[in-house]
Amino acid sequence: MTSTVASSPASSAKALEPRTRIAVAGLSKTYGAASRQVTAVDNVSFEVRQGEFVALLGPSGCGKSTILNMVAGLLPKSAGSIRIDADDVEQGLVNRKVGYVFQRDTVFPWRTVEANIGYGLEIAGLPRQQRRDKVESAIETAGLTGFGRSFPRMLSGGMRQRVALMRTLIMEPEILLMDEPFGALDTHTKLEMHKTLLDIWERERQTVLFVTHDLGEALTLSSRIILLSARPGRLKDDFAVGFARPRDAVSLRETPEFARLYTHIWHSLGEEFRRTKAK
Amino acid sequence: MTQRRFEILFWQFAILVVILAVWQWGYDACKATLPKSLVPGILDPYFISKPTAIWSSFLKLACFADKAGTSACLSANDNNLWIATLVTLKNTWWGFLWGTLAGIAAGLILGRSEFLAKIFEPYVVALNSIPRIALVPLIILMFGLGDLSKIVTAAIVVFFVLFFNTFEGTRSVDRDQIAAARLLGASEMTVLRTVVVPSALAWVFASLTPAVSFALIGVIVGEFIGAERGLGKLIIEAEARANAAEMMVSIFVMMIVGIGLAYIVRRLQSHLLRWQPQFDQQQ
Ligand SMILES: Nc1ncnc2c1ncn2[C@@H]1O[C@H](COP(=O)(O)OP(=O)(O)OP(=O)(O)O)[C@@H](O)[C@H]1O
Ligand SMILES: [Mg+2]
Repeated sequence: MTSTVASSPASSAKALEPRTRIAVAGLSKTYGAASRQVTAVDNVSFEVRQGEFVALLGPSGCGKSTILNMVAGLLPKSAGSIRIDADDVEQGLVNRKVGYVFQRDTVFPWRTVEANIGYGLEIAGLPRQQRRDKVESAIETAGLTGFGRSFPRMLSGGMRQRVALMRTLIMEPEILLMDEPFGALDTHTKLEMHKTLLDIWERERQTVLFVTHDLGEALTLSSRIILLSARPGRLKDDFAVGFARPRDAVSLRETPEFARLYTHIWHSLGEEFRRTKAK
Repeated sequence: MTQRRFEILFWQFAILVVILAVWQWGYDACKATLPKSLVPGILDPYFISKPTAIWSSFLKLACFADKAGTSACLSANDNNLWIATLVTLKNTWWGFLWGTLAGIAAGLILGRSEFLAKIFEPYVVALNSIPRIALVPLIILMFGLGDLSKIVTAAIVVFFVLFFNTFEGTRSVDRDQIAAARLLGASEMTVLRTVVVPSALAWVFASLTPAVSFALIGVIVGEFIGAERGLGKLIIEAEARANAAEMMVSIFVMMIVGIGLAYIVRRLQSHLLRWQPQFDQQQ
């Protein structure tokens, strides 16, 4: 079931594998009451290790958000187990190590860009001056300089998503869960966001679980791709993405290695897209 | 743009002049030129008075035209126009404030708790279907002829308006925004303060402008039914003497009070809701 296609020499130091941060085992989710049940996720198991950037890839409606929401503790699971480090994830319990970026725009429209980014620090009670310094540098990292006092409605979709990203990253989560954070953006803006995210991640190396249905995006960003089948979501395949880092979001796409891996996964993914359509 | 604005102002002014002219001279002109059966009775100064008569009534009620001097006139009459206006304004303000605070609090609590909302639903529906005005005699019986009964009346009227709007606003808060706040470390109380309240505020404010007029209506009706002072009391007294001019004076003062209150609320609203596009001053 697991095939590995690495474009750079496979890691030889297998013995020194980093510790497991997220462990999902036999996870299932069934929506609805007894009569009209929909199985969205069916017996999914995978692990994410420290410092890994894992993309969860699959056609629309295959249960990617459902899985991520269960991992974040936003949704009760029907069966199986989820552990983050040594702790069982239960719905309603917020884990301070985990940061989450939503598929939908969830920036607070009544707060300025500064106040949005500083939200978590503010409610944690960090003194104003320290907060301001951190927010300042976050705004710079996100390329939002000069927009600190603006309200979100004055920003473009891409800028708003940067705010959402920095609002989460400023809390310095060790584990980052992202649900198609760039799904609503046009191709160019998306590439810009990839650059920003790659810059940050290659510096900080958080453990990331990144949901997407865009294969190019998964290849650009991740170090591993978990492929899900069409609904009900099952584990279909697992690919290592070994492109050298630091990566350049644009020129990476022009390399033959990228093209080769793209085609390889495309066939596997294509089957699932066709199955989604056939329904 | 400015051309258009000038035209609009011109027509507004022209309409005002026509209304005042017809009001002042319309009846006499009709009586002089038309056969008796065609003279419009609605224009009879006995019912609607005349602008000049209203103006002199205003001077009289406001104590600007008293032989004894303004201050002697003011102290001789404990429901002169100034006191009446202040009393009505004060009672409207307190009724509005208490009704608003209670309505917002109840709306937030029931809006956030499915359980409590279910329990109280039949009571809210039952109470809400009582026409508020029907309660006024009872309220006056309970709280007397003084200011308190007017404040209570206004507060009850305002309460339901604010309650329903806050409730709806609280219910329609974006659940993902609440989840986002939780994941950033917000407790239930923090979520309420930093997400639910600000996003319900748009709904609250939408109801604040009508609520302030309702508060004024509540106070005036209270003053009609039983009061010692206030603009409503002035109207009732003028009615007893069939003095249309004096009634008109009170009505105009109410209009100005209503406009003033609505203006204050709107200023507050555009400051607190400046994150919403329709209140953007920079556009
Ligand atoms: N609250 C719900 N009640 C019933 N069914 C649901 C609910 N939420 C999701 N589903 C169903 O579960 C399936 C998986 O949904 P999910 O949102 O996880 O998909 P997804 O992979 O994130 O899709 P997309 O890429 O479009 O976001 C879908 O078929 C959807 O219809
Ligand atoms: Mg989704």
